Amino acid sequence: MDREIIIKNINSALADEFEKDPSTFSADGNLYDVLEIDSLDLVDVIVLIEKLFGIKTAKEDFASVKTFNDLYKFLEERINK
Amino acid sequence: MPEWKGKTRGGSLGYRIFIALIKHCGLKAAYALLLFVVPYFVPFAPKGTKASWWYWRHIHHKSRLKAMLMVLKHYYRFGQIIIDKMAAPSGYEKNFKYDFNNYDQFLDILNSGKGVVMIGAHFGHWALGGQFFGDYSKKINIVMYDAEYQKIKAQVEELTGGRNYKVIPVNEDEMATIFNIKAALDNGEYVCFQGDRYINDNKVLQHDLMGHSAKFPAGPFLIASRMHLPVVFYFSEKEDTLRYSFNFFFAEAPKRNAEKKQEMQLLDQYISVLEQRMKIHPEQWFNFYQFWQKE
Repeated sequence: MDREIIIKNINSALADEFEKDPSTFSADGNLYDVLEIDSLDLVDVIVLIEKLFGIKTAKEDFASVKTFNDLYKFLEERINK
Repeated sequence: MPEWKGKTRGGSLGYRIFIALIKHCGLKAAYALLLFVVPYFVPFAPKGTKASWWYWRHIHHKSRLKAMLMVLKHYYRFGQIIIDKMAAPSGYEKNFKYDFNNYDQFLDILNSGKGVVMIGAHFGHWALGGQFFGDYSKKINIVMYDAEYQKIKAQVEELTGGRNYKVIPVNEDEMATIFNIKAALDNGEYVCFQGDRYINDNKVLQHDLMGHSAKFPAGPFLIASRMHLPVVFYFSEKEDTLRYSFNFFFAEAPKRNAEKKQEMQLLDQYISVLEQRMKIHPEQWFNFYQFWQKE
């Protein structure tokens, strides 16, 4: 799957789930700050990724995900593995 | 600041005395000793006594005299249930009688192969009757605050010869806790929360309980509402000396709704069941701290 398609899909899903304007999402933006979520809300992101891409995530996978770019990179690697 | 600090009161000397008494003299002897222990707690556990007093005066609108008696009964019932909890794995479990409500439906859910979220409260005592959960107990994960877990772990293991359920400790690494819960549910296991205690004031849901505002932990309701799995509210109550009832209630799946968040829809249902149980057995509400927000 193309990186652009991954970005489009995940941004659209995150915007819908957290009621945010996707134009505020930038690659360098902090995922937690922009979406206004904490570690408890992470469950939303995990379930959403699973539903959207069929990927099961582990804590080790997600520990280094801080920015949108980290998330895109993680998804790209896992989807195209 | 949350009123409950994640630790449960109770010294190991007290537990040892009661365990020895149960083993050598029986359950009724332990209940008899409790009659002398209860009055000690009234002055020496002032926070608990104050909370119990407030509970009887403001939640159940008892007169001063009646409230005083109910504080004693409250401690006594709490002590009895702790004694039962200690006695059951020491060979007394067969002496207890159990009534089950909605048990077949509950087993159908457990047998569905899906993960199940179970939400209880510090009300009555549910771990008793573990024999009825048999092999199911191997798939039970109890989410417990780390400080509470460390404190009771050794005592429980000494008493039972090892746990037959797993514990998911809630600690500083919240992300790890969430992934552990998710992994257990994905594995078709059952994850049990207590829906009435929180330690992080930033992660709470506010709701009226018995007509007064209180805070509830957001975690169990948020996680349960997002996983799209069956949610069961469970309550075990002491009906008389040797009889317990196990009551299972099944939550309706929350819907995505602009007016009310899914976790609040689940909390509404939980509160409704909890209030029903509290009206039947008010003395089995075991949160001995200022649970409600004072107006």
